[in-house]
Amino acid sequence: MPSLGHHAVDLRRVEADIAELEKTAFLEPLQHAEVARYLYRLYARSALNGDLKELRPLERLINRAIECLGPREDICLLKANLDFKLHRLAETKRDLSLVPALKDRREGRVILADVAFQEGRYQAARVALEALTEEDQTWDVLARLAHLEAKMGDAALADELYTRAEDDITAKEMRAFAWVQLQRGLLDLSRGRLDDALAHYDVADRAYTGYWVTEEHVGDALESPSHYERVLEQVDKPELAQKLGGLYAKAGNESRAQQLFTRALSGYLDSAERGEVHYYHHLTEYFADVAHDGEEAVKWARKDIELRDNFNTQTALAWALHCSGQSAASVPYIERAIESGVKDAAIFSKAAIILEAAGLRSKAHEYEHRAAHLNPLRLHVHAH
Amino acid sequence: MADHNDPNSVNSAFSDIDVSAADLYDFFGFPTNSEAGAEKVYMALTFASVPQTGVFDSDILYRVQIHAAPRAAWPEAEGRGIESLLKYVDAVKEKYLGSFKASEIRVNVDTAQRASVKFLNFHQTGNFSTTIDTNKVSEIKTPDGHVIKAFIGGREEAFFNDLTGFFRSINYAPQFYHVPHTMLDGRELPIPKTLLELEGNDLFNFNPAEPEVGYSQKKNMPPGPYSWSGNKYKKDDKGNFRFVYTGNDSRKGLNSNAIVFEIPLAFLTAAPAQDRIVNCWGESWVLKASKKVPGIPDHPVLSENPIALLRNFNQDEELKSYKLVDTDGQPFADAALSEREDSRQMGANNFWLAPTFVKRLAHLGWGFGPSISALGLKTSFNHDNSPISIHKTYSNVFEAFPRVAKTLFQPLNMPDDSWNPKCLNIPLRRAFEVFVPNVCAIDVDTTGTWPFGRRLEDQVATRFLALFLDMEAELNGKKYHIELLNDQAMWDSAPIEPKTPPNPLRNDKEFLKEFPYLAEPWPPRS
Repeated sequence: MPSLGHHAVDLRRVEADIAELEKTAFLEPLQHAEVARYLYRLYARSALNGDLKELRPLERLINRAIECLGPREDICLLKANLDFKLHRLAETKRDLSLVPALKDRREGRVILADVAFQEGRYQAARVALEALTEEDQTWDVLARLAHLEAKMGDAALADELYTRAEDDITAKEMRAFAWVQLQRGLLDLSRGRLDDALAHYDVADRAYTGYWVTEEHVGDALESPSHYERVLEQVDKPELAQKLGGLYAKAGNESRAQQLFTRALSGYLDSAERGEVHYYHHLTEYFADVAHDGEEAVKWARKDIELRDNFNTQTALAWALHCSGQSAASVPYIERAIESGVKDAAIFSKAAIILEAAGLRSKAHEYEHRAAHLNPLRLHVHAH
Repeated sequence: MADHNDPNSVNSAFSDIDVSAADLYDFFGFPTNSEAGAEKVYMALTFASVPQTGVFDSDILYRVQIHAAPRAAWPEAEGRGIESLLKYVDAVKEKYLGSFKASEIRVNVDTAQRASVKFLNFHQTGNFSTTIDTNKVSEIKTPDGHVIKAFIGGREEAFFNDLTGFFRSINYAPQFYHVPHTMLDGRELPIPKTLLELEGNDLFNFNPAEPEVGYSQKKNMPPGPYSWSGNKYKKDDKGNFRFVYTGNDSRKGLNSNAIVFEIPLAFLTAAPAQDRIVNCWGESWVLKASKKVPGIPDHPVLSENPIALLRNFNQDEELKSYKLVDTDGQPFADAALSEREDSRQMGANNFWLAPTFVKRLAHLGWGFGPSISALGLKTSFNHDNSPISIHKTYSNVFEAFPRVAKTLFQPLNMPDDSWNPKCLNIPLRRAFEVFVPNVCAIDVDTTGTWPFGRRLEDQVATRFLALFLDMEAELNGKKYHIELLNDQAMWDSAPIEPKTPPNPLRNDKEFLKEFPYLAEPWPPRS
């Protein structure tokens, strides 16, 4: 009998904990520690499964716990993490303020730095992360700082920070280690270094076996349908269905592509109809690049930028406007994205196209050149 | 708890931290001379039995560091000023930052549960290593002909104390309430530390209706405020104080894992006749993730990372693969005096913490000192005759020092002369020498009873409290001593309930008469 991979072992352990805890966690009178442990295990299972839908019932349980126990630090922290994961930045800040001490705790400050980054307050995010690093060089903060540096163009510093983050991770945290390897791979990809990226993905795969996130990253790097297919067998991610559909469309398999696009769109819209916001940027991309419906793309992009005004949402809106034939209107948004200081080949490429369409040829050439300089192979990278 | 549940990163008293094999418990050390007269030293490092009793975590590396030296008489025997303390700290610093290099035994158990034992930097043999079975006594022959006894396996937990009583005395909420480890101000609450319950301290006073709280049960943390506004100790209708301790053994029936050696003194030093003090301490290190998976070389030079290069400069190749978690030398050095801070796991090099110790000792003194006085005993702490324990913290070491000068500098009287069987002129130890550096300093001319080492049967938790007794005072014509609070007769006549020494007088299981001395483990619980 083949041995289970690390991911399966972790999932089995979390499932066993949940099975045990769910019997008693919400029995009256509620015991804070047991409730908190149960909620954290549910969150961990959602992360392991990559299933954001699991967060809905979890959110209801968190709210019930707060109602019964009052605003406890650890539970409010979990609520903030959940809201942040679902792109609800205002709610994240509100969660942290439920317990006034929380925003001054290290864990609270880390989330607030994440919020600052997502709100386009990059300098505030940098200052907060640097202060946290001065106090204690924990891997999670070093990795966040590395991500910021990577986006702002200092790949060497980013890689050094990732290396330092790695050095802080122990053998008891192999999933975290694999995740940092994946980030280093993404950094390599963003600079056109495919072999280096794959080497990091290989380490991630050996460090934490059976992890669908690694498989998805390899699929991204190699544009490999078989990798995506395997991941889709494990996790229900509409965005992955869209990516796979894109590969089939490119290969001429229109019917399979259409099936997958339909599945993706259905997932996005179901979520949006429930009032969720975390698929707005995927809806923007979908309508801009798959459905070629610029108007609809603009609609979702505007909703997203209202929540998170950063270089990604600015670029997405600029691109949506461009796709709807409003090139002139899109220029201020792409300029704002670039003025943020971001150095990203995908954004520069889009900027070149938008500026060209708007008749700003020399600027367009400049960004085309800068994109090629950053990522000579123009390898696919995530834009969010 | 000697050093159980520290540092905070492995402090399983918090509701959201699991027990870790890196959580060191105790370091024991005493001389065990053979019948033939050969001088030997016993050392035992105990730690959490994770994943199971007798089964070891292959990701953890344990180090026992050893340095033999002559017994140095502190030249300023009469000095009790802060200058004397600073001179002492400077001398220790000089030693540990200078050319000092300890010998070391490094142990790692592989997944097949075979123990790799490496001997490093020993004066006559240099480095050598061997592999032994776990859970059985082995004899390791050294290249220069000595025989070292070794045992690496599961044992009964050798520490015996009323952990809950200690936590009640310092108002340590995670023992009684569900406190997530992120809640920094939910640990020691701002209530006076005390040996006697405070009237109205409902958060921590024993409640007969909830006898298991603090033992097998924890409660939800009530909403604040978490302070105390009373002004007297609690008394029952007979006028007796209520002791925060019960004398019960909270470690009863539990096991630990242990690394135990019995080593000839002549192997440890080329000058056994002069080097009569064997300083030793233990450390736990956890493997870094990057070393578990062979991958892309990340040498600092290759990755142009000079900071990493500097950071790793002082570590040998093997240690670069690990991360330090916990250190253990003196009981209470970490748990009581450095507040379990992860950043304060320094091992012997804890001289940086001397100012912290002074301030912390003063903080504890304002709690324990007045409660000792209330019992009619004399205290070494200067609390200006305060009738009640006070919650006071210090930011300035110069302000704190006069309060604790006597506590730090008074010689710690022993109950009789049995500790000094050769009747040598060995000075009594003093608190500042005991805790800085954070080592178990075994005086091989003594029995090795604490603070001249630490024997298995020593009730160190109660002896630690005796630091706050005035060793110049007398009871029934006899000077106070470090065993005074272990004297049942004294408690029988004290106005207190329950009438018991604070901690149990002996372990819940007999220690063995022969190596490895630690008792056999309890059978697994069903």
